[in-house]
Amino acid sequence: MMGKTIFIDPGRCIGCQACVSACRECDSHRGKSMIHLDYTDPGQSVASLPTVCMHCEDPIAPCAEVCPAEAILITADGVVQQADTTRCIGCANCVNACPFGVPKIDLEAKLQMKCNLCYDRTAYGLAPMCATVCPTGALFYGTLEELQAERPGVQVADSFAFGDVMVSTGVAMVVPADKVQWPVPGGLPVVEVNGVDVR
Amino acid sequence: MTRRATLVATAVSLLLILAIYFGSRMLRDFDSALIPYAVATVFLAFGVAYRYTVWVSAPGARRLFTKGWGSLFSAENFRKAPTALPKMIATYLGFQKFLGARSHARWAAHQLIFWGCILAAAITFPLTWGWFTFTSSTGSGPGYEMRIWGFKVLGYDSSSLIGWLMFHGLDVAAVLVIPGASYFLYRRMKDRGAMTGQRFAYDLVPLIALIVISVTGLLLTFSSIFLHGGGYEFLALLHMVSVVFTLIYIPFGKFFHIVQRPAAVGMQLFKYTARQKDEVFHCRRCNTPIDTAPYVENLEATMRDLKLDFAEWAEYCPRCKRELRGNAYLSHVKKGFK
Amino acid sequence: MTAQDVPLGPTVRAHVPLDPSIAPPGTRGFRDAGGIPADQWHADQNGETLVPTHCCFCGVQCGMYLRVDKGGKVFGVEPRNHDINRMRLCPKGINAYQQVNHPDRLTAPLMRRSRNEEFREVSWEEALDFTASEVRRIQQAYGNDAFGLLGGASLFSEKTYLVGKFARVALKTRHVDYNGRLCMVSAAGANKLAFGIDRAGNPFSDILLTDCLLIAGSNVGECFPVMTQYLWGARDRGAVLIVVDPRETAIARTADIHVALKPGTDSAFFNAVLHVVVRENLVDAAYLAANTTGWDEVRAKVAEYPPERSAEICGVPAAQIEQVARVFAGAGKSMAWHARGIEHHSQGVENCLSVINLCVATGNIGKPGAGYGTITGQGNGQGGREHGQKSDMLPGGRSIMNDEHRRQICEIWGIEESELPPAGTSMMEMVWQMQRGEIRGLIGVCNNPFVSLPNYRVVKEGYDATEFHAQFDFFLSETAANAHVVFPVTTWAEDEGVMANAEARVVKHNKAQEPPAGVRTDTWVMCQLAQRLGFGDKFAFAGSREVFEELRTASSGTVNDYYGITYERLEETGGIAWPCPDTEHPGTPRLFEDGKTYHPDGKIHLQVVEWHQPMDPYDDDFPMSLTTGRTVAHFLSGNQTRRLGALVEQTPRPWVEVHPSHGFQNGDPVRVVTRRGSAVFPALVTEAIRPDTFFVPYHWPSPTAANILTIDALDPRSKIPEYKVCACRIERADSIDEVPAPPVAPGHVAYPETQVSRTDTLPPTAPQGRATAEERR
Repeated sequence: MMGKTIFIDPGRCIGCQACVSACRECDSHRGKSMIHLDYTDPGQSVASLPTVCMHCEDPIAPCAEVCPAEAILITADGVVQQADTTRCIGCANCVNACPFGVPKIDLEAKLQMKCNLCYDRTAYGLAPMCATVCPTGALFYGTLEELQAERPGVQVADSFAFGDVMVSTGVAMVVPADKVQWPVPGGLPVVEVNGVDVR
Repeated sequence: MTRRATLVATAVSLLLILAIYFGSRMLRDFDSALIPYAVATVFLAFGVAYRYTVWVSAPGARRLFTKGWGSLFSAENFRKAPTALPKMIATYLGFQKFLGARSHARWAAHQLIFWGCILAAAITFPLTWGWFTFTSSTGSGPGYEMRIWGFKVLGYDSSSLIGWLMFHGLDVAAVLVIPGASYFLYRRMKDRGAMTGQRFAYDLVPLIALIVISVTGLLLTFSSIFLHGGGYEFLALLHMVSVVFTLIYIPFGKFFHIVQRPAAVGMQLFKYTARQKDEVFHCRRCNTPIDTAPYVENLEATMRDLKLDFAEWAEYCPRCKRELRGNAYLSHVKKGFK
Repeated sequence: MTAQDVPLGPTVRAHVPLDPSIAPPGTRGFRDAGGIPADQWHADQNGETLVPTHCCFCGVQCGMYLRVDKGGKVFGVEPRNHDINRMRLCPKGINAYQQVNHPDRLTAPLMRRSRNEEFREVSWEEALDFTASEVRRIQQAYGNDAFGLLGGASLFSEKTYLVGKFARVALKTRHVDYNGRLCMVSAAGANKLAFGIDRAGNPFSDILLTDCLLIAGSNVGECFPVMTQYLWGARDRGAVLIVVDPRETAIARTADIHVALKPGTDSAFFNAVLHVVVRENLVDAAYLAANTTGWDEVRAKVAEYPPERSAEICGVPAAQIEQVARVFAGAGKSMAWHARGIEHHSQGVENCLSVINLCVATGNIGKPGAGYGTITGQGNGQGGREHGQKSDMLPGGRSIMNDEHRRQICEIWGIEESELPPAGTSMMEMVWQMQRGEIRGLIGVCNNPFVSLPNYRVVKEGYDATEFHAQFDFFLSETAANAHVVFPVTTWAEDEGVMANAEARVVKHNKAQEPPAGVRTDTWVMCQLAQRLGFGDKFAFAGSREVFEELRTASSGTVNDYYGITYERLEETGGIAWPCPDTEHPGTPRLFEDGKTYHPDGKIHLQVVEWHQPMDPYDDDFPMSLTTGRTVAHFLSGNQTRRLGALVEQTPRPWVEVHPSHGFQNGDPVRVVTRRGSAVFPALVTEAIRPDTFFVPYHWPSPTAANILTIDALDPRSKIPEYKVCACRIERADSIDEVPAPPVAPGHVAYPETQVSRTDTLPPTAPQGRATAEERR
């Protein structure tokens, strides 16, 4: 986990999509929203999940690893950048390899784009646009200590299980105290013995 | 890997040296004043070959490299869609339609730089290598003939339009490159999108190099026409230094995209081939198309090469990945606020 | 590859385009509508200034900066660390700035002699002269009261003051009212009855201190998203959250207790809660004895509401009623906030009073972390009702029926008391009067009753019956499109003024750019009209600042005392809560701290509440309940938000929320039928609503208007329409009604880039909108 990073708490999310609109206001990709907002329990409840880039640390960001054009660079502080515009060939390897479903692609422009943790804002000491405006704190930007000062006793996890693989990330999620030691389930359906997906 | 790359690069450099030697008719047509340039091109060849080999050895690139060239050399593909490849080369590499989708202004500026550089390279590389010669039967014009590898290809009058263009080809190239590169430089100072994560060596140096080369090149012409060669030697030195620097820089910086970009054609052709056969892969959960089936297969193989052992996760569309993760969080981590 | 997609034989598709290739949903396309196409957006650092101001939309009044470029044009928004919102903004707030230089803006007055003609653009002179002559003609022929004026609560307080003064002084008509009548008046009525003051008792920040927070009839997560941070902040510190709402909204989903009662049964529920509080001896007897009147009567009445009886009425378990009573009364510091969900009823005032009774009986009034509040819906829902655009009110919250108050105002305005008209009628009643020909001419300022009033058929008939109708707006609203004259006026970013938010905190909006050519401020238009009607001397205002000075003076010494509030102080402090009697006074964020109310006796006047059935009776043809409300991406009648690309993308159209037990699939065309009409919406099938209740959001115009269906029954005291419950049934239909494009001036089309998704027939993924992976079809 990075020092100052985003903490995601879907339990606080009201699904309002302020983050989606705010992302579009970010100067580094004005007019284009990189954030995903999904309603993960449709038909049952209004539960929602915002998805920003998780900035994978171990293994090194899968998107960067599968990129055939060496277009996805990672900064010294662990921020996985969006594709370098001169290199990206728009093959979509990163789009489909990302276990979190983050990168987007502009097929006409042959260009991948994704959340880069608002590098243009964080460089000036500002929080990313999404976490700045989030009305509920479902997206929080800061250090773990700052988060815990605002929300006494809150615990976070920064590892995710995809089948047998554990991916640890720069962005963390809020979890209940008794689940801190677990990796957060990544959602990859477990295949049963009879070969039927368990979802 | 580095050993193989070194070997390949050495071989390519040797080949180039041989080509220079024979192309210049055993150095008979070789202009010794251009030696620094020629040496730089050899280094360039070494660097590019080295970087290229390293690049295509990485799993992601290697697999796509194989698939791309495979599609390119497929006789079946050629029979089915003979125009696909030339069209793709023209639209992606020549006219760079995809840049227009990013921004019209950037497309225009890039086209200026691109055609300027193509023109300049087409003139200077063969000249440097002694492959082109321009000789006058009368000693000093106006009738000239242009020879390649010693064979006459064109005869022209230096006072004609063709003659003017032949003589001023590099000036034309400079005139194309300067506004294009200046626009990009301006953008790099004004546009917050471009400035985000901008690095001097990677993003600004190439533009400055292009502008320096073009401006000094133009000033050389200016000096010879209007100043009777005043300052020519200094300018020539500066020009040479900037050119040599740029050539050697190509494999390591932003300019490497010139070498990489054709991979886009390979990738598109690979996908196009599969799309023609309706080999579309659908998400295992929501059944929406993800990409072509051979592509997904290729990606999964790449992921396995890289020991990313969740390769089958690529068979779900990103939305389903997020929904499944959200659902898993709701049912296994916490349902609500606490 | 799935089985059914295996191609038949080795066929090769005839033509496969080279480009583009395939990509999964949600990864291609960036929802870059944004109102302005992405390639026209520039992020050039040409030097920009940040103008501090507040959002134009809801009653939270979040602070924001507008980004102004070197050319003086608003081009973006930047979060502002104002203590109301602490940099947070909702999607409406973020996109609000796009209204300012929107291509749909009206830039010249529109005029026509009859509704059969097309609008034509005319000069200001012509439009003002024609309007003044029509006012004179109608008033001479039918009397002064035959001309009406309808204001709005999204106007700055200065302008709402001017609306009231213009009606009484220049038009000399009793018929003035405003769209807060559709919004706030039940709470206002209850507040006045119980406390003698009409505003929330506690500031938002008190929510952070409470131990138990009860939210009744408010979808805070969607209607006041930024306020959610206070709810979550309270919970972070251990507070219990109780939500009373027929739908499982975003805040109800995770609440500790969610009471999913039947619409229209709120006071039965709260009476039963109070019944349990009394029965279990959880009342604060000392507080009641010292500070209230009427407790015995209230106690006797709630004795008639045992939990078992109310459980039956409300459709919730009796045990839950008892649980709410024990938690609320036993928590320590408890607080209740409510909004339209309990106010939009023919018993709206009673509903609010039943919540007040509960708070007062448990001693939860006027303490840090304990109290009562109502969440105003419109940006100036609080300020808009204070200074005299309400039919029965004069500036400073004065009553037009009170002789002393009348005398004071006549003195300030410099008119004879005999000239001051008596109280008028409410907005809906005025529409009925238009239908009957009692009101023949109308000016509307900042409202859109064609979408916002109930029973659309009646509204349309009423407006069509007027001989002359002028409307002020910056976009051509559905109502304005039916008018004779439309005055193009400024947006909030092109003028300065104050608004009072849900906490009664007065905040200052600053001017960020010059209005486009041809656009004038509402203040200028009203002053010009007054001048033409012969009252120029009473309306010699250069701008908002001068009006505010008069407003301050006019409110001095009243309950709603603004005298101590000046523009300079507002800019220094970031907002001052009234009453603020002098310029040294810090304002009054929390009321009743000394236990004293604003009644002459200083007591809380508890009121007996009796529940009754909603006005639209259930029968075999109409057995179900229809309730209406908002969605997060749109605001009120949608005239503003239905033109902003990002918001249209998020929620392109209305839908009907249906419980799965009715057998519909998501997206099925469902006809909702009431005694007043019917409309077809795509079904959003969800378990997050009661099986006996359907929900339709109301931001869209006919034929997809929720208000085709709603009943124009009013609360007898507050005259608020019963939007939140009417009897209905649903039927399977063939096709879904299409959302019409927002109206625009002749010769224009609604900005096409923003309207791409409007004709989509699918319901959103969830009530909050379409997931970002749902792409336009």
